[in-house]
Amino acid sequence: MTAIKMTAAPTLPDRDELIHRLLSDQPLLADTPDHLLQIVNVLDSYGVVLDAYSRNLVNQGETQLLNPFPVMRFFHEGFSFQRLWQHLRGDRINFEYAEYCQKAMFWHGTGGMDAYFDSQPFLDTCQRIIALRSRRDPLLALVHRIYPGFAPEAIRSMATIYALGLFWRVMSDLFLDLSRRYRSGEIVTVNDAVHHIRDGLVSAAGDPISYKVTVGDEEVWILPPEAGLTFLVDVAVPYVEAVFFRGMPFLGTVSYNAQARQISADISDFKYGALYADPIPSMGAGIPPSLCMQDMFRNLPEELSTWYESHGRGLNDVHVQICISFQKSMFCVTNGAISGTMPHSLDTTDFDQQQANRAYALTWAERLMGCQRGALL
Amino acid sequence: MILTLLLLIPFLGTLLLSLWPPGSSSAQLRRLTLFILSAQCIASFAVLFWFDPGNPGLQLQERLSWLPSVGLDYSLAVDGISLPLVLMNAVLCLVAALASRRIENRPRIYFALLLIISGAVNGAFLSQNLLLFFLFYELELIPLWLLIAVWGGANRAYASTKFLIVTAVSGILILAAFLGISLVTGSVDFGIRPILSGEMGLTSQLLLMGALLIGFGIKIPLFPFHTWLPDAHTEASTPVSVLLAGVLLKLGTYGLLRFCLGLFPEAWELAAPWLALWAAVSVLYGSLAAIAQSDMKRMVAYSSVGHMGYVLLAAAAATPLGLIGALFQMVSHGLISAVLFLAVGVVYERTGTRDLNVLRGLLNPQRGLPLTGTLMIVGVMASAGIPGMAGFISEFLVFRGSLQPFPLATLLCMVGSGLTAVYFLLLVNRAFFGRLAIAAGSVANPNILSTVALQEQLPAIALSFVVLLLGLAPDLLVGMSQAATTSLSDLALLQTTGGLS
Repeated sequence: MTAIKMTAAPTLPDRDELIHRLLSDQPLLADTPDHLLQIVNVLDSYGVVLDAYSRNLVNQGETQLLNPFPVMRFFHEGFSFQRLWQHLRGDRINFEYAEYCQKAMFWHGTGGMDAYFDSQPFLDTCQRIIALRSRRDPLLALVHRIYPGFAPEAIRSMATIYALGLFWRVMSDLFLDLSRRYRSGEIVTVNDAVHHIRDGLVSAAGDPISYKVTVGDEEVWILPPEAGLTFLVDVAVPYVEAVFFRGMPFLGTVSYNAQARQISADISDFKYGALYADPIPSMGAGIPPSLCMQDMFRNLPEELSTWYESHGRGLNDVHVQICISFQKSMFCVTNGAISGTMPHSLDTTDFDQQQANRAYALTWAERLMGCQRGALL
Repeated sequence: MILTLLLLIPFLGTLLLSLWPPGSSSAQLRRLTLFILSAQCIASFAVLFWFDPGNPGLQLQERLSWLPSVGLDYSLAVDGISLPLVLMNAVLCLVAALASRRIENRPRIYFALLLIISGAVNGAFLSQNLLLFFLFYELELIPLWLLIAVWGGANRAYASTKFLIVTAVSGILILAAFLGISLVTGSVDFGIRPILSGEMGLTSQLLLMGALLIGFGIKIPLFPFHTWLPDAHTEASTPVSVLLAGVLLKLGTYGLLRFCLGLFPEAWELAAPWLALWAAVSVLYGSLAAIAQSDMKRMVAYSSVGHMGYVLLAAAAATPLGLIGALFQMVSHGLISAVLFLAVGVVYERTGTRDLNVLRGLLNPQRGLPLTGTLMIVGVMASAGIPGMAGFISEFLVFRGSLQPFPLATLLCMVGSGLTAVYFLLLVNRAFFGRLAIAAGSVANPNILSTVALQEQLPAIALSFVVLLLGLAPDLLVGMSQAATTSLSDLALLQTTGGLS
């Protein structure tokens, strides 16, 4: 009989421990060489994938607005029958995953961008765009007349697509830079990696998020600079909220029965995001972000690929291993985001500021308690 | 001579194995055993060339006077009832040897015992002399006892001793019945022929048939003589369980048809309604007991108790359709239970447990045992009588053949068939569906289950295909045996109409 290695049940970090780590500038993830190897390398491959996602989303924003049949939206590098063949046989980046993330972000709708979508200037812009497009697009004119809410919603969605593309542009560069620094010996601990992410987010925090399209001969600002939307608060934080925490009840991973009220009617209660995901899929369904795992697998750095070969079931369960590493890395990104948005510096000596930091850390610790804390071990 | 070859190959093989150079590794001895059993398999299937399926009588008879003073003849023959069982013995012994990959403890003796069992079972199925049958019937007892006692699980001493005692009683009862026939008829002819009231009083017939019934009922096993089987299965290694369920239990059902019905058709006819009731009780008990099990192997073992009850039901009805159904059930149960035990064996080997309160999600494609789970589901579907698989054909034939003479018992057995789906779905749902886990509650689960090589699962895959093949083309078996079972049915039915005296 094959010997099964049984180990003592490890202790998950509790709420106090999570607060302690957040306030004492320790990473949430256990600071081990294996963790460092996994998160840096998986973020390296993720950075490559995000680069492709970002280019595609930005291109969609520039070319696919109110396109009723956007069947060519994944061919932003040009169409050829060879590319079509590669696309059909799956030899490609799965841009669909980027759209799933966009849909989650759009659906959960938090932050300043979502608030702006309901503002009068945005609605006026929508009407302007629809009017301009309707001049040479009778289908849009007809649809808009029958369903007046359709086109504005499509514009909102496209604005989110574009904003996510901008967000991932920054994150891709951030992750690839992390990998470069790791290989040059500048990043030697998990904490270094978290600091790198935090600093990157903070330095990009104030970057403006704006979106302009050309309709006919006229340029129209969908997200104008004067709306004051910025990278961190209006895009990054809503993204983390939607994809890392709330997510969507992905089909197949676990059976959710909405009629039995197993899914909350309040989407702010959703806990289906990446930090809650079970990396080991149940039955034949994929891991929630399985398409992303596929894309990362195609771009795995050799160091991580070799590491996977000697762990788990080698390459047989490499997607599960990538998902486990990916979840760990997402904890680091969340860690960086929390650190970067702390109300005050961690080394403050002011009591009130310390208390404010503590309250902030407590809020996050409460949320993290329900996550897959096993990934932190 | 071909039938003698079926005995010579395993017995001479045992000798060859014993004389094989000392110091040979377990793998070498296994390869030699596989070679011998492959030869036996080829020889067994070669019988088909000479076998005439349309002939209901004994064929390829070989006879040699051995101890005429006590009526012991070396008399072998084959008919449509014994041939499928001989073929199944050949296949399942080969499968058992294939599954014996990790025998490090005294492998020479292990494989020798395997060969002895194979030869003894062939001898029992082919014997046309009661005493010769008894010799072979007893010959497999000690090797099987040793296989459980030496290579079994933690509680093997208890299980093997229980098996030995109970099945020894079975042998004593059978021998007593055979000697009783000689005593009452005053003849030393131990040939297999119907004994009718002109030759023996009905009371004596009932008594002797009763002894045989209990003797074979222990071996089958039927409720309430079944208690040795779950223990033996639980403690036996996977290959031994395959043999036990697939081949050795069939000695009991074969004895039921050949000796209880074949020797005492008049008494059988009298007892048939009670036997049908006994069958229903056995089926229901086996099925309900299976539902209550949390050990996968024990559950499959209890399912055998239930499924063997169908054979008794069909034998009691003794209609042409019923008897071909009984034979089909013997073969399909042998194949299906082999698949199930092989799958359970892989689960136990990889996870270290068979506890259904602990195992979860083994069908997980990345980190579980997906192929094993698939094979288990195939076995479960076949056992539950899903159309298109051998189990459906056998159960349909049994029920169709028994419904008219014994409607109540048949309906109760149908309920038992439904219960099969219940307990096997419980098994599959608990162990194979859901999130992967092989330890309960807060106990840390091992991260990785090692993968199972495809070649390790090839025997179960091959058997699954045979189960499917027989389900889709049942005439492969029915055509071989129908003439013989119809002939046996005619013998029984003549008693009902008073046509034979």
